[in-house]
Amino acid sequence: MSDFCGFGLTFSFDGFRILYVGIATFMWVMMLLFSREYMGHEENRVRYYVFTLMTYAATIGVFLSADLFTTFLFFEVMSFTSYVWVAQEETGEALRAAGTYLAIAVLGGLVMLMGIFLLYTSLGTLQIDQLRAAVAACRERTLMYVAGGCLAFGFGAKAGAFPLHIWLPKAHPVAPAPASALLSGILTKAGVYGILITCSQMFWDDAFWGTAILLIGVITMFWGAFLALFSINIKRTLACSSLSQIGFILVGAGMICLLGEESALAVRGTLLHMVNHSLIKLVLFMAAGAVYMNAHKLTMNEVRGFGRNKPLFHIIFLSGALSIAGIPLFGGYVSKTLLHESIVEYRHLLSEGAVQRAVFAPETITLIEWIFLVSGGLTVAYMTKLYICIFIEKNADAAVQERYDGLKREYMKPASSFALCMSALAILVLGVVPSATMDRIADFGQGFMEAFHEVEAVSYFSVGNLKGALISLSIGAIVYLVIVRRWMMKVDDSGKTEYVDRYDARYDLEDRIYRPVLLTILPFLGGVIARIGDCLVDKLVVFLRKTIYKDSPIPRELTQGTYFTHLIGSFLDTLSYEKERIFAAINESEERPIRGTHFEDRIAASYELADEFRALLVRSMSFGLMLFCIGFIITMVYLLCI
Amino acid sequence: MENYIAVMLPIILPILLGLFVLINPVYKHNRRFLIGTIIASGVLIVAVTVSALDLENAEYTLFYLTRALPIDFKIDVLGRFFTVIVTTCWIAETVFSFRYLPENETERRFHGFNLIVLGILYALGFSGNLMTFYMFYELMTILSMPLVIHTMDHEAVMAGLKYLFFSFAGAYCALFGFYFVQHDLNIAFTEGGSASVALLGDKAPFMLAVAFIMILGFGVKAGLFPMHGWLPTAHPVAPAPASAFLSGIIVKMGVLGTIRTVYYIFGADFLRGTWVQYTWMGLALFTVFMGSMLAYREKILKKRLAYSTVSQLSYILFGLAAMDANAAEGALLHVLAHAFIKSTLFLCAGAMIHATGKIRVEDFKGIGKKMPITLWCFTIASLGLIGIPPTAGFISKWYLCVGALRSPLGSLSYLGPVVLLVSAALTAGYLLPITIHGFLPGRDAVVDTEPVHEHKTMVGPMIALMVLMLFAGLFPGYIMQFIDAAVSGFGL
Repeated sequence: MSDFCGFGLTFSFDGFRILYVGIATFMWVMMLLFSREYMGHEENRVRYYVFTLMTYAATIGVFLSADLFTTFLFFEVMSFTSYVWVAQEETGEALRAAGTYLAIAVLGGLVMLMGIFLLYTSLGTLQIDQLRAAVAACRERTLMYVAGGCLAFGFGAKAGAFPLHIWLPKAHPVAPAPASALLSGILTKAGVYGILITCSQMFWDDAFWGTAILLIGVITMFWGAFLALFSINIKRTLACSSLSQIGFILVGAGMICLLGEESALAVRGTLLHMVNHSLIKLVLFMAAGAVYMNAHKLTMNEVRGFGRNKPLFHIIFLSGALSIAGIPLFGGYVSKTLLHESIVEYRHLLSEGAVQRAVFAPETITLIEWIFLVSGGLTVAYMTKLYICIFIEKNADAAVQERYDGLKREYMKPASSFALCMSALAILVLGVVPSATMDRIADFGQGFMEAFHEVEAVSYFSVGNLKGALISLSIGAIVYLVIVRRWMMKVDDSGKTEYVDRYDARYDLEDRIYRPVLLTILPFLGGVIARIGDCLVDKLVVFLRKTIYKDSPIPRELTQGTYFTHLIGSFLDTLSYEKERIFAAINESEERPIRGTHFEDRIAASYELADEFRALLVRSMSFGLMLFCIGFIITMVYLLCI
Repeated sequence: MENYIAVMLPIILPILLGLFVLINPVYKHNRRFLIGTIIASGVLIVAVTVSALDLENAEYTLFYLTRALPIDFKIDVLGRFFTVIVTTCWIAETVFSFRYLPENETERRFHGFNLIVLGILYALGFSGNLMTFYMFYELMTILSMPLVIHTMDHEAVMAGLKYLFFSFAGAYCALFGFYFVQHDLNIAFTEGGSASVALLGDKAPFMLAVAFIMILGFGVKAGLFPMHGWLPTAHPVAPAPASAFLSGIIVKMGVLGTIRTVYYIFGADFLRGTWVQYTWMGLALFTVFMGSMLAYREKILKKRLAYSTVSQLSYILFGLAAMDANAAEGALLHVLAHAFIKSTLFLCAGAMIHATGKIRVEDFKGIGKKMPITLWCFTIASLGLIGIPPTAGFISKWYLCVGALRSPLGSLSYLGPVVLLVSAALTAGYLLPITIHGFLPGRDAVVDTEPVHEHKTMVGPMIALMVLMLFAGLFPGYIMQFIDAAVSGFGL
């Protein structure tokens, strides 16, 4: 399409793009199947479906785009149409979360646009497959980093990278569950897609860029897992878990950039983790939706015990949970292992000195490896928390538990359970036969990130690889037993336990920093500057009107006295009024109305009295005589003196 | 002779028709007759104008003020471009006013002056030299005054006076420059301008100052800081169709004046790289920011839109100040985009105010349930103003920023796009909440959701303008060709 929007849209159909379009389509079909029941009793269904389809089209556009202009165009459309998902419920909380989502999307989009402007004007091309050569040829590295930073800001905001993740834990829980599945499963991936472009195309083999992305990834990975552990709302747990998994993917992206030529492992790991995470979150969010459909609650204390005696639901949930926790034989294990391998590989290269321009020492990489494993452990812990809560424990309220137990078959309609089963099946198939499925997917998709050379088949179940998983598992078990059971649960007198949110809501990045700064401080400062500029001329005009271009006062007939008495009288009036006002203010007496003395009247009255007297006086005989005398005396004195 | 009629008819016909409407007492009470006449005049004028636009290089000198000052008309691409926009917006606004205006004798006055102003705008578009332009520029100010003070209440009259004061101040700046231009340069609009250092010698620095004063003078109409103050006062008090026209079209004549002065009198080569360019650009950027910021903090809907106009017009001036072909294309496209968008927004605001009688932003909660079509138009126009793809506002912003980044302006070429994007964020901040609260008032909000009948003659113009704007964004090819041709005359 050459003339569309002035620059034309270009699309490309390579392995990665087709793979992601396939996944997106699969997810949308499943989600729509599930929505039929989930949205069955909701209002504004038409709006929901219309915007869902529009978002689908936009997302496909993002993934197929071959140049950044096209990417940006669809990305913006996607941001705006998906807004409706978040705001769908129209509750106060939902609207607030949606506002945050939109604000981040708009800001991210604009910053991204700035990056695109910079790239376009300095490189002259936006074609993704030409970026690597063009950036490498560009001499202005700083400008490139700024442009890349702008792009990463925009894409990272959508992906949920720290510190722009704030919309994510708020928006996912309030959106309808099928929509959250897609927000988390695929919309964040559109952001990741953009970051992958910067890592594998623009700054391929660039140590500085790779380090930056790696650090962001590490922080996001750990922070997300940390938040998820605290959460007692099942959808919030899943949302925070998404954050954490995006962190894993970003670590992979950073590794791609750092490893350069050797990045095949990282590429495959990143790609597979994206695929896994998309499918897992589809299952888990829809499962949470199934809980919500029946229980109409989301907090752990209230949905506790929902999953008991529901074997199908049990299997579905477990497939997702085990996979995300990285248990061997499930998909998440494979991709996490690959990511782990790539970290180990980088450390080897570093210690052998094979890496030029290394930013990190091998010890730092070891630290990152440990954070990676600990985050994996936290993943295990919060998924266990979720699992035990829903499937093992009984609800504190026996009547509720009875109601949950009674929902044998009718908790989901066939269409919904079909959607869930299919999604869960996809995960199981991927996990059980990784070499047949996952390797093929990786082979198919890795071309996008230009890792063409062959990797020897990784034996996923070797001792070394199992060790990493075991470390994570044991950390997870310890965390669960020690922290979750001991600290995050409260036992009351009757021996009943309940989950407590130990996270102090005061440490909320959004409420503490973003909202005050962006909504109060900056607008205030800007407002002051703008207001000064605005009233410059107006004030000048007022000033002139008060000084040199003063209106001549409209002549007014004085009712009493003369102009002179009016002037003095009104001046004294003002004085006495002010005096009384100040006294009243000091004494805080409000009863007595402030009157002031009417000097104007008084002076006018005395003037008139005087005037009358003057008239009498002047007309009198004695006054004439007096004048005569004075004149006479003056004449005499004058004559005498001369 | 043939040329004479073709060039002069679009100018004279509306003026005569307008006078006829104003004078003829029949229109005082016969409303149907009035509207019939307006429609018939409109059709006639459009036909005449279209036929005039078809002429290649039509030129006609009406008479000579003095021997050196001809009143001269000439149709070039730039003039055509503005004329097309004027016509489109005029039609939409006039159709809208049929239902919007209260049915009393003031209607006649509105429509009469509305027609006359149209003729004068055509004259501005077709002006062939600075004298002609200046003359009609003053006429436009005076004759659009009745549109501003239409309601005749105290506030409107005061706003009208402010409008006059600012406009005259600006026009006199232009007139001041005109004396020197007439003495040393060619007052006929020539492509690429006629000033050069070689020609002016010692006078060159002084002529730079003259150019700057003229830019400021025409900038008054275009809402350039520091003389933008009339906009937020005059737009809100005028009836909605008039504010749409003021904000969409009349202010653009300030832009046209600036283009004519800079590119057709002085020439970009003369001004490029001088303090005039940098100061002009700095003022434009400050205005962009200031307008958006004030709009963001403004609570009265129409005033908010007026501040937004201040900001958006300086996008255009910024693009012109960059003196780069790309940026100039962006500026011209933004002239079109902003004309359509802002007209739509003002018409929507007018419809909303007409239906509810409220003027403050927070009173429009849930308005989307009452008047969905109106708010949808408002929303899409808002997206266009923010510059969300694929609307025309996005394409123009793209050209503006890319042009600015490519031109050698030092730090200003980076600062420009940044300010434009900050302003876009603020634009989102002041327009989107209206949409959001309008469609999603929240579960607990007590709002009146009784649907209002959205009358065809009110909704139709908005939809038409909104669709045109979208179309210009989706398929800008044809328009860009047109704009390219116009910009090729700038001598860049």
